[in-house]
Amino acid sequence: MRIRAERDDLADVLARAGRAVGTRSPLPILQGVLCEVEGSRLRVTGTDTDITIRTTLEVEALEDGRTVIPAKLAAEAVRKLPAGAVSMTAADGEVEITGNGPRFRLRELNVDDFPKLPEGSEGVSLSVDGASFTSALSQVGVAASGDEARPTLTGVLFEGEGDTMRLVATDSYRLAVRDMPDIAGTEPTLVPFRALRELGRALGEGAMDVVLGDRDANFATDRGSLSVRIIEANFPNYRQLLPESYPNRLVVSKTSLLDAVGRASLVAEDHIPVRLNLHDGGIELSVTRQEVGEETEHIEAEYQGEELTIAFNTRYLTDGVSAVASDEIVLETSDPLKPGLISGVNDEAFRYLLMPVRL
Amino acid sequence: MRIVVADCTVDYEGRLTAHLPLATRLVMVKADGCVAVHADGGAYKPLNWMNAPNHLLEEDGRWVVVNPKGERLTITFTEVHFETAIEMGDDPGLQKDGVEAELQRLLAERVEYLGEGLTLVRREYPTPIGPVDLLCRDAEGQTVAVEIKRRGEIDGVEQLTRYLEFLNRDDRLAPVSGLFVAQQIKPQARTLADDRGIACVEVDYDELRGIDSPALKLF
Repeated sequence: MRIRAERDDLADVLARAGRAVGTRSPLPILQGVLCEVEGSRLRVTGTDTDITIRTTLEVEALEDGRTVIPAKLAAEAVRKLPAGAVSMTAADGEVEITGNGPRFRLRELNVDDFPKLPEGSEGVSLSVDGASFTSALSQVGVAASGDEARPTLTGVLFEGEGDTMRLVATDSYRLAVRDMPDIAGTEPTLVPFRALRELGRALGEGAMDVVLGDRDANFATDRGSLSVRIIEANFPNYRQLLPESYPNRLVVSKTSLLDAVGRASLVAEDHIPVRLNLHDGGIELSVTRQEVGEETEHIEAEYQGEELTIAFNTRYLTDGVSAVASDEIVLETSDPLKPGLISGVNDEAFRYLLMPVRL
Repeated sequence: MRIVVADCTVDYEGRLTAHLPLATRLVMVKADGCVAVHADGGAYKPLNWMNAPNHLLEEDGRWVVVNPKGERLTITFTEVHFETAIEMGDDPGLQKDGVEAELQRLLAERVEYLGEGLTLVRREYPTPIGPVDLLCRDAEGQTVAVEIKRRGEIDGVEQLTRYLEFLNRDDRLAPVSGLFVAQQIKPQARTLADDRGIACVEVDYDELRGIDSPALKLF
């Protein structure tokens, strides 16, 4: 295998495919990326066997072939070469990477050890705008759990709801729902958020084809593809958690609320809740930490309903408010011990249900 | 069990060679023939050992333990401080820890927590290789064997698989499906369970005990 390419382009395809490479894989071969040259196309594949990222680049191909090179080292080596043309040659168990003087000779990994990976998947096929899709995923992703011991909660549910695609995530303390209108529905499919989080950086934000299969989900743009094993488990029945209506409704500036919660967080840290007294004219926000002190402030807001004091985990509250796209936030409540619903004014596409903390 | 406390050196020859210089050590010869040499520290591993089957040859001031693979452990005694032998009898095995036993009790009282329509047949249902924690029937009347662990690891799935193999030989019960229950189930254990058609359920011990946490949950 022998190619020549622009440094920045080659570094980019290696780094993006390398995002699927785990740092703690027990199999040495999975520390590498597979580079395949055929015709004038270089295809780079990185995988941890659950997530696979493939990237492609038009190159000056001097000799077809295949090799597996250490993912992180090769990407960094190319990136640190002087700008301009870079050549990569695999022969006799080594890969030589050179460009304008410096020369790396890296040990190849055994190409025959690289796992045989399925090419794409069959299933429901959707076309989405990459930018709005990744933005929607990041809105719901804040509510996905990072606890691998409960895999069901580490995923984002893709679900058809009439002419709308619905994305849902929950870690059992909060639940985020994002509707994407005018995208055909699909059978409920649970896709790991740790893969979805990579979509923007790995594939860019152009037009994206999404295929949701029985075992895998596949996402592809003109910059490459990402496939991931779906989570085969039943997502919690979240619909019953979303009430039709709430008796109390607060409308407040997103910036004012975020700034205030940010100040309260200085005192609260993660485990102390912020207390919101909701009443006509606004919010009395307060936080008290016995060994440190307290912070209190008033936030102007419109409020309709009975006076109510409710407390939330500061990080979860910040996550939800930050995820709303509008400048004004709606916080709907019914009871200090029942979940509050955060959304944007005139924006029903995104809802964030947040469980309060008992005072 | 034979117990010797002595100043000794120990030499191992086999896959490699290893030498323990002169020091005071505890040497144990267990009823099954296993020989272990311990230092006065650490609760887990002997400094050197020879599993059964082996042959222990006692010479003057020296024991030579040889196994069928030709590996050799030589213990050379310079001074014996203490020696005794005691008949210990059969070991009853490891008792379930408190949390696991309590989980079993709590879940037996409300098996519906594990799945809608599930009813209890009996706790500790006997099989030829030991009792399965709970034997239940699902809403369709099918038998479900439930294994409960504090931490859901691969060993637990293997254990349930063995129970299922025996239970499914009983025409009165078959087909018997498996349900693996733990506070937390490791991804590898879940993968193995999925592969074997065993369902997994994670349970919240505090919730089962009715202990309130200030952090409320949606479900």
